[in-house]
Amino acid sequence: MREEELRTLMVRGLAGDARAHAALLRAIAPLLQAFYRRRCAGHADVEDLVQETLIAIHEKRASYDGLRPFTPWLYAIARYKMIDQFRRRRQTCDIAELDHILAEEGFEDLVGARLDMTRLLATLPAKQAEAIRQTKLEGHSVADHADAAGLGESDVKVSVHRGLKALAARLTGGR
Amino acid sequence: MDTDALIDQLAHNLQPTPRHAADWRMAIGLLAGGLATLALIVLTIGLNPALDQVVRHYAFWVKWAYALSLGVLSLGLVRTLGRPDARLHRSLWLLALPVAVLAAIGTVEMARVPPSHWLAMWLGDSWLICPWLILALSMPLFIGLLWSFRRMAPTRLGLAGAAAGLASGALGAMIYCLHCPEMSAIFVLTWYTLGILMAAGIGALLGPRLLRW
Repeated sequence: MREEELRTLMVRGLAGDARAHAALLRAIAPLLQAFYRRRCAGHADVEDLVQETLIAIHEKRASYDGLRPFTPWLYAIARYKMIDQFRRRRQTCDIAELDHILAEEGFEDLVGARLDMTRLLATLPAKQAEAIRQTKLEGHSVADHADAAGLGESDVKVSVHRGLKALAARLTGGR
Repeated sequence: MDTDALIDQLAHNLQPTPRHAADWRMAIGLLAGGLATLALIVLTIGLNPALDQVVRHYAFWVKWAYALSLGVLSLGLVRTLGRPDARLHRSLWLLALPVAVLAAIGTVEMARVPPSHWLAMWLGDSWLICPWLILALSMPLFIGLLWSFRRMAPTRLGLAGAAAGLASGALGAMIYCLHCPEMSAIFVLTWYTLGILMAAGIGALLGPRLLRW
């Protein structure tokens, strides 16, 4: 489920709609399971943490401001509950897994950035978007992409250049 | 317990949460705390007997505005830090503004009197007790803010406690103006600020213990 849907459910729940509130908590539960399993499988009882977090989300729902994004609020609570449980049990993370955990921590930002990128690229002509995607995001060389798409290398370079320029203009010029 | 059953139980009998519920709660906590602080002044150290003349003097309003502006700015901070995904704004530096203005007023005041008066202006009659009184008077407000935090979800507990201490120190000082006989800006700048900072420090120490959820 996406940010917009979750937020709508949350706002309706805040207005007193019990069904929306239950639907929200049901939609969140698997997200939390995935979140905790990725981070502390073997260190904590994931289901316990999920339930504790659901209760916190319910009890602290007044701290959500309907004008702000929902997902950061949700994961901030999830993260707090995880750290709190580690602290309470005086558990420490295995240092061997630290880089793994750190890598996962960046995951949400990464997904968010990728979504933004996809949305931005969709506003460009298909040829430019594809050239940028292949050479800048997927990491192919200009020559590879030129071969694959049956274009000249300079053609690809020009497409990338024009596309990036258009994107830059869009980003700096506002929406 | 089964997660599904838990969700049903949580959603059962759901009460609506008004949009500014958290702000209202904060206002109620502060109002109750403020009244308790006022009662504490009236019942123990008493109001300034010359209050009707004092309020006609600009120095009273300088003091009062200093405490009020620090209080309002730190309440904004409290509000931000009550959210789990709080990010500190750049507007944090605004807190330095009242301090700078008061320091400027103090400098002008000092320039107008001979240097032999400076020590008396700085220490007044109550420098030994003023910070402690402000600290004591901030406690009811601090408790009021702690109560309002129960529906909030602070994740940076030390900072949230410090902000709550700062706000209650500043608002306590604002109410303390009704007793305080001192009239010089450098007195306020030093001893009021010291009392307010002590309250913030205690808040920072207590935050991680009292604000956990």
